[in-house]
Amino acid sequence: MNNARILVVDDEPQIRRVMRTSLTEQGYIVTDGRSGEEALERLRQDHPDLVLLDINMPGMGGLEACREIRETSDVAVIVLTVRDSEADKVAALDAGADDYITKPFSMPELLARIRAALRRLPVTPESANRIVHVGEIEINLATRRLQVHGNEVRLTPKEFDLLHYFADNPNIPIPHGKLLQAVWGPDYGSQVEYLRVFVNQLRKKIEPNPAKPIYLLTEPWVGYRFQIERQ
Amino acid sequence: MGAITWFCFSVVAVNSTTVALAYLLAVMAVATRWGLLVSTVTSLAAMLGFNYYFLPPIRTFTIADPQNWIALFAFLTTAIMASHLSNRASKRAAEAIQRQQEMERLYELSRALLLSGTDQTMASQVAHHVVQVFGCDGAVFYDRASGNLYRAGAADIQVPETKMRDSSTQGTEFQDAATGAVTLPVSLGGHGIGSLTMMGGTVSEAAMHAIANLVAIALEKEQAQAVANVAEAARHNEELKSTLLDAVAHEFKTPLTSIKAATTAMLSSNSQTKAQRELLTVIDEEADRLSGMVTEAIQMARIEAGKLRIDKKPVVVEKLIGDIVDQSKTALDGRTISVQVEPGVPLAEADPDMVHLVLRQLLSNAVKYSPPGSPLTFRVATKNGEIVVSIVDRGCGIPDADQAHIFDKFYRARDVRTQIPGTGMGLTIARKIVEAHGGTMWVQSRPRQGSEFFFSLPVAKEAVTP
Repeated sequence: MNNARILVVDDEPQIRRVMRTSLTEQGYIVTDGRSGEEALERLRQDHPDLVLLDINMPGMGGLEACREIRETSDVAVIVLTVRDSEADKVAALDAGADDYITKPFSMPELLARIRAALRRLPVTPESANRIVHVGEIEINLATRRLQVHGNEVRLTPKEFDLLHYFADNPNIPIPHGKLLQAVWGPDYGSQVEYLRVFVNQLRKKIEPNPAKPIYLLTEPWVGYRFQIERQ
Repeated sequence: MGAITWFCFSVVAVNSTTVALAYLLAVMAVATRWGLLVSTVTSLAAMLGFNYYFLPPIRTFTIADPQNWIALFAFLTTAIMASHLSNRASKRAAEAIQRQQEMERLYELSRALLLSGTDQTMASQVAHHVVQVFGCDGAVFYDRASGNLYRAGAADIQVPETKMRDSSTQGTEFQDAATGAVTLPVSLGGHGIGSLTMMGGTVSEAAMHAIANLVAIALEKEQAQAVANVAEAARHNEELKSTLLDAVAHEFKTPLTSIKAATTAMLSSNSQTKAQRELLTVIDEEADRLSGMVTEAIQMARIEAGKLRIDKKPVVVEKLIGDIVDQSKTALDGRTISVQVEPGVPLAEADPDMVHLVLRQLLSNAVKYSPPGSPLTFRVATKNGEIVVSIVDRGCGIPDADQAHIFDKFYRARDVRTQIPGTGMGLTIARKIVEAHGGTMWVQSRPRQGSEFFFSLPVAKEAVTP
């Protein structure tokens, strides 16, 4: 049984009802909120491990709430949306969500995404106490901390996992599908837009000039490469 | 004249030249004031006075010196010519004043027509404005579009409608001898749009034509405005409809989300009897169907509102087909799918999400209209510099009469309307998406043999890294 805490935020009472029932049955501890404002309030009080956040809510919408959550918290966020265009998905990921799911969704799919979002890249014995130094970047794989120029930089769990995977597999091109499956889980593989957004966010945080990356390089038609040896 | 004669004859003694000049002055003054006829009479009187009092022998009408005959004749000719000239000058001045007044009135009329209210049609206001501005006794406007006559001013103007209609259709002018009413055609660019009759008043012919032109322009402007208003209203209406449809569709998705989440949660728990499970599956599948229809309605609304966003990039069409085939496996019901790709097909310049929609639509269409277990084939080829994708089924085919309409919104072929569920939006959406890419969609079909749906996409200009 799981005992992770999930905060369900949706203005629709029936959806909250179904979620509460189904997720509780799966062993999750569920609290809920009706708006973006309430989500921030609950986040402070309940310290959830994951937030299921609806986009279309009166008052503070889901995207804005997500951005505010990311100001203070590394909690996993899955956005629920009725819109399924790539632009909408990218907007959700850009706001700091780890994943999104399009309404209406099936419960097994949601559960799979919750598991993927709560999943952390396992700490292998090799990485247990490893600190990776790349130029001005210092990645502490054990404490999941990142320093750039000696300053602490916040990463969301998925951002850190992605960076962790890159650090474990430096200097070689890694295909999109492999990255997605390693970081998000076996159900993922074709969602290249996730990588585009997350790699961009990582570049903003670690690259001296994100427009001309020197560490996180694009491998055309293949994937990405984490370059730590100077060519 | 008498005063000049008396003054020059009794008071001061002046020579005959001075008298003649004084007479001429008087004749010119008379010509300016009273016109040509009076001044000519005055000229004759002056000649007689000049002869009687100043040309020797004085106090007789006889003239002794033949030279004086010449002087007298010269005086008469000069007086008449001077009165002529003077009269013409004064006429010109009067004409100029009238023309200026007409210009001012025309300007006033154009202002009145421009600023006239929109609560009444322009045609119904024209006659009224003409009467008010030009002060004529009455005016009638015949509007060819509606066939109505609009009157203003004197109520008793009787103009035969046939005459006005003839004037507007044939572009001819009429003048009624009895009433003095003038009827002019009102036309723009050679096309008659009505006719205007004016009675009384002192409006020159040139001004009348100018009035007719002004009226024509005002009517044309009103019509152009009306057309623009209708187009604007239609656009607004379409936008409102789309926004409404979008909002309604989203409202539908919310309860569907609860239903779908609840049924799938139950189905994944494996705790029901076989019959319960079957019933739950029915709810789940129908929720999916409803959701699909709502999605189509949302897409239709977006497309109609012009909000279709195409984010083109180089894509491998074959890979998109593979994705769709993978995702649709459960719905294929034993149908086999083969994919035939011509060697060397380049990348397409397309929005992968949108092409997904098109492929999914065509596949579900092929599945709907072909028997279970029959083969389906996707083909990808290059033709005329475009990538042409098609899907072949061995289904019921489409009757010729329906082929022209199957891409129309809400159209469903007669034979299948009641047997196969559908909204009639899918193919419309697919075609609109393809057209938004600059491609085309068409079908070749034979009843009872099957159909092949084609669509084309542009070739990617250059390979861009993702």
